[in-house]
Amino acid sequence: MSDAVSRRELLSKLVRGSVLAGMGGAALFLVKKANGEIVWQVDASRCVNSRLGEVGVEACTLCTSECVVSLSAVRAVNDFSKCGRCNVCPAYFDITSAVNELGLPSQKLCPRDAITRKMIGAADPEDPANNFYEYVIDEEKCDGCGRCVMKCKAPLGLGSITLKVRYNKCLDCNRCAISLSCPKDAVTQVPKMAGLEIKLAEHTE
Amino acid sequence: MQYRQLRIISGKGSGPAEFREALRGIALDKQGRLYAAGDSEVKVFDTEGALVRRWPAALAPHSVAVAADGAVWVGQTGQIEIFNAEGKPRRVWKDGARMGRVTSLGFFNGFVLVGNSAERCIHRFDATGKFLNTIAKNNPLEGLHIPNGVVDFGIDAHGVIHVANPGKHRVERFSLDGALLGHMGKFTGPDPTGFSGCCNPTNVAVAGLNLLCVTEKAGPRAKIYDYAGQLIAIIDAGFDPLTKNMDVAVDGRGRVFVSDTAKLAIFVFEPVGGPLS
Repeated sequence: MSDAVSRRELLSKLVRGSVLAGMGGAALFLVKKANGEIVWQVDASRCVNSRLGEVGVEACTLCTSECVVSLSAVRAVNDFSKCGRCNVCPAYFDITSAVNELGLPSQKLCPRDAITRKMIGAADPEDPANNFYEYVIDEEKCDGCGRCVMKCKAPLGLGSITLKVRYNKCLDCNRCAISLSCPKDAVTQVPKMAGLEIKLAEHTE
Repeated sequence: MQYRQLRIISGKGSGPAEFREALRGIALDKQGRLYAAGDSEVKVFDTEGALVRRWPAALAPHSVAVAADGAVWVGQTGQIEIFNAEGKPRRVWKDGARMGRVTSLGFFNGFVLVGNSAERCIHRFDATGKFLNTIAKNNPLEGLHIPNGVVDFGIDAHGVIHVANPGKHRVERFSLDGALLGHMGKFTGPDPTGFSGCCNPTNVAVAGLNLLCVTEKAGPRAKIYDYAGQLIAIIDAGFDPLTKNMDVAVDGRGRVFVSDTAKLAIFVFEPVGGPLS
């Protein structure tokens, strides 16, 4: 009998402890969220536009259409350390468009003309292809539609462009509309770490 | 000109003739045997595609080539490992600076040419391993434009080096002493007569008199061109859409061997109606 009582008490304590721990965890999460330590972010390895293996499909534009922020809190970000600095960047040009007199695609990919292409170094007058190019995304124009991200990923590109939630634009909704609609659960809440915050576009000049 | 698929050699798996994780380079010897380097070993297949032998490499291989004496050279990170035809180690060339990542190898008149993707160029050595000169480095880009991370080249019967420069959508021709002799190819968008995407062709092999075979990524295919850049044939059957840096080799009968780096298999094609002259 006393054994049964002590087992009941033990179970009761365990349940109470678990509930308290859960409440404590939730409270800690809310405190961190309130302090801006927990933020929404796009997981590039899940996002349809950047995850490997998704080829021959249209870019997913839900980050643009679902976000309550004007243009979207999600923007395309080019990690220059990974960029190939190509003469013909498939994220900048519509590489299926007709070739112009310069030997380049005649149309750009970005519907908002948010990417600029700049030659690195001096031009070689004898050979225009003899240069690297820098591609800078104007985040004030970008609406995070992901078209450039889809074209930048392997095997076509190197995957240097990904979608990122910009913390200075995100309203940090409790129920993020993009997260609710994302078919790949690619928008999740993560601890905000200084290292995660990719710097705004850095020019070489 | 048309090609038909003859067979598929190897594939992804754990069998002795298969590769588990990586297939990097292929080469042919005078007898038409196929050498495939991947994972951490070299596999040799006969002309019918049956595994003849295999042996381990010290480091993961990036490339393989067979010299005139039958020695098998395996390009690795920081070194080249040399085996005899049976796979017994002969020696190792180490040069951390000039062999950062050896993604292609070639031979001509006793010279050894080493494609180093870490430096985006080719280095020429004599048979003893003495460094002679650098090729494809003297330009404003200070090397080849290879976002794909591979330097690949072929050498023709006259000692002209044909090297893929995918960022410029070209195959460039260099002399052994490093002079740029010319180039073929240009970006043509969806028009297959030239090269598409950000950076193609990725790989190249000499395919006979005045002929080159190149491979492209996204979408993957092999193409035959003459030296002037005239498209002769397109071979685009069965490759994995995610494959890239498909190494290519062509035998004396005009058969084209292409490594699919995603399926870890070598596709063999033969020209319909016999080889081009």
